[in-house]
Amino acid sequence: MPVGQLLVEGLAIGACYGLFATAVVIIYKTSEVVNFAQGEMAMFSSFVAFHILSAYQYPFWLAFLITMLFSILLGVLIEFLFLRPAKHPTILGMIVITLGAEMFLMGLASWKWGAEQKFFSLPLNPSVTYEPVKGMIINNWGIAVFAVTACIMLFLYIFFKYTKLGVAMRATQQNKHAAKIMGIRTERVFSFAWGFSSLIGAVAGMFFASRATLDPAFMMEPFLRAFAAAVLGGLMSIPGVIIGGGLMGLIENFFGYYWPHWKPIIAFIVIILVLCLRPSGLFTKHYVKKV
Amino acid sequence: MMFKKKMLVSVIAVWAVLCVANVAPAAPPAGFDDNEIRIGQWGPQTGPAAPWGSVARGSKLLFDVVNEEGGINGRKIKYFIRDDMYNPAQTVAGVKELVERQGVFAFVGGVGAACGMAVKDYLAANKIPWVGPSAATQDFVQPLDPYLFAVYPLYRDEANVLTKYIVEKLKMKKIGILYQNDLYGKDGLEGARERLATYKMSLVAEIPVEPTEKDLASQILRLKNSGAEAVLMYVSPTATVIALKTAANVGFKTQWVGANTVSDYPLMFKITGGLFEGVITGAFGEIPDSTNPLMVKYRDAAKRLNPQERWGTFYYAGILFADPIVEALKKVGRNLSTDALLKALNSIRDYQTIGPKITWTEKQHQGTDSLMIQKCGPNASYIQLQGWMANDLATWKKK
Repeated sequence: MPVGQLLVEGLAIGACYGLFATAVVIIYKTSEVVNFAQGEMAMFSSFVAFHILSAYQYPFWLAFLITMLFSILLGVLIEFLFLRPAKHPTILGMIVITLGAEMFLMGLASWKWGAEQKFFSLPLNPSVTYEPVKGMIINNWGIAVFAVTACIMLFLYIFFKYTKLGVAMRATQQNKHAAKIMGIRTERVFSFAWGFSSLIGAVAGMFFASRATLDPAFMMEPFLRAFAAAVLGGLMSIPGVIIGGGLMGLIENFFGYYWPHWKPIIAFIVIILVLCLRPSGLFTKHYVKKV
Repeated sequence: MMFKKKMLVSVIAVWAVLCVANVAPAAPPAGFDDNEIRIGQWGPQTGPAAPWGSVARGSKLLFDVVNEEGGINGRKIKYFIRDDMYNPAQTVAGVKELVERQGVFAFVGGVGAACGMAVKDYLAANKIPWVGPSAATQDFVQPLDPYLFAVYPLYRDEANVLTKYIVEKLKMKKIGILYQNDLYGKDGLEGARERLATYKMSLVAEIPVEPTEKDLASQILRLKNSGAEAVLMYVSPTATVIALKTAANVGFKTQWVGANTVSDYPLMFKITGGLFEGVITGAFGEIPDSTNPLMVKYRDAAKRLNPQERWGTFYYAGILFADPIVEALKKVGRNLSTDALLKALNSIRDYQTIGPKITWTEKQHQGTDSLMIQKCGPNASYIQLQGWMANDLATWKKK
């Protein structure tokens, strides 16, 4: 059994799940809404990057920067156009609105770019591999995922702990009305959360697209796994979802190596077991609201 | 008084309509008249399987050529395509509309086993012949459906032929398989096992993949660890891309051998970023730049009649799936009927155009067990490795 290699591959795909799960959690942390359009927002941004690269032949890094700006705008627009107009929405109502946004984005992408698979690559040669320790081959894609995830985690830690906006986001999540009374413009906080979440989702989306293919439905399955990783880690804890993602990748790869039939469902079985014992996930405290 | 007047007018109107209907000539048999034969096909023109939609457009090219040459026994072919988006529910809706409102005489092609299975019984119940489904499943031909005539070689036969090639021509002994965990993949698995059993060999790794899986690292590592010199792939084009990319990432080098479902090399080369070069596949048609006179004829016709369409394997597959019905209609002559067409189809023996030789009898409607073997060369070029090769172990032949 190639333990080292399974470890590398499991952690790499797990970091990717974790990164995408972070995008889910940022919105959940501020508004308690699970954004089911998250995958399609990432898909749409990845298509924009593809379009800039293939139609305008811009260098990758310029295309990447434009895509990041677009993804922020997309997140803000979806929050502004789809969620904000809802009058006194329930959480369930908001979730249904995100499902509508998901369908809308998928239809729009199919109309604009077609349903067939597209080739999307990062400027990394997939065939270049390194073997720092015997039996542990790592490729450029894996290194990039680890590096980007680590940078984003560090940034988020500093952001939520030491910046005014980060503290405002946490305050809005804990008590929206109290935050408003304290002078926090909660609507702006929501816009920012959606924009920021969309940006992180777009980065993860490009990693997923470069590993598989780009098509309007390509983020459906990674979204499910990332969401499961987020639930496993605890929907409120960003370090928790990264660890949840890592665990998910490791469980799938080690188990999938011996019992490939069970690979697609084993992580979900583990999650059900974990949630039976710790309903809020591994890294979040379970609060019971008292009336 | 007013009511009586209205009643009288209504009765006269109904009587007049009945009189007119009585003197009108008898309605022509459904599906054709003196000037046209109506033929239909469903296929995904939009949606996730849209790249396979070119099959239906390929059949259109054939019918356009036939019509240009004067039609069949004085009748032109009127052809209908319905976009089902690869969704069986929409296939049913489209097929019912074509049968019940357009009066279609027969169907050709039709992408997707599930889509085909959704309408198979309906077509048989309505006595509508269906020639050359664009999918390979034994459920189409066993038990025998008197109205369904298959052209597409079964995946089991294909895997059998490909495995034979790997063992006998490539001299490889360690063979693994990556198969989709459904009928398509399992047919491929059975075919490979069946052939290897004749050499007293077995697969060194049998790795299933769910159609939606996006991470195949553990599966590819398992294949790598098995020491497989060649790996058969009975998976979707997307899973093929992921497998090739993952193999490159973990440093696994092997001879990849795919099903005919990934035989559109320009597409596969493009979406794998060139990793598809060197992959061997089965093929149910000639290579695109073949000098076969019929291929030259259709290629030229495509440039003239449908210049915006890429001359790809799935496009001209639409021709070879529909070709036999044209042949049968010619055989029938002017006295066309469903029974006459079925009789003509059942009498087709060793009929070959740009695909494999087709033979149908009253007891056997699987037309062929033959395939070609091709290899993706530099810049998505086609290299023919093996001409038409039959599966001598084909189980359906023995029934």
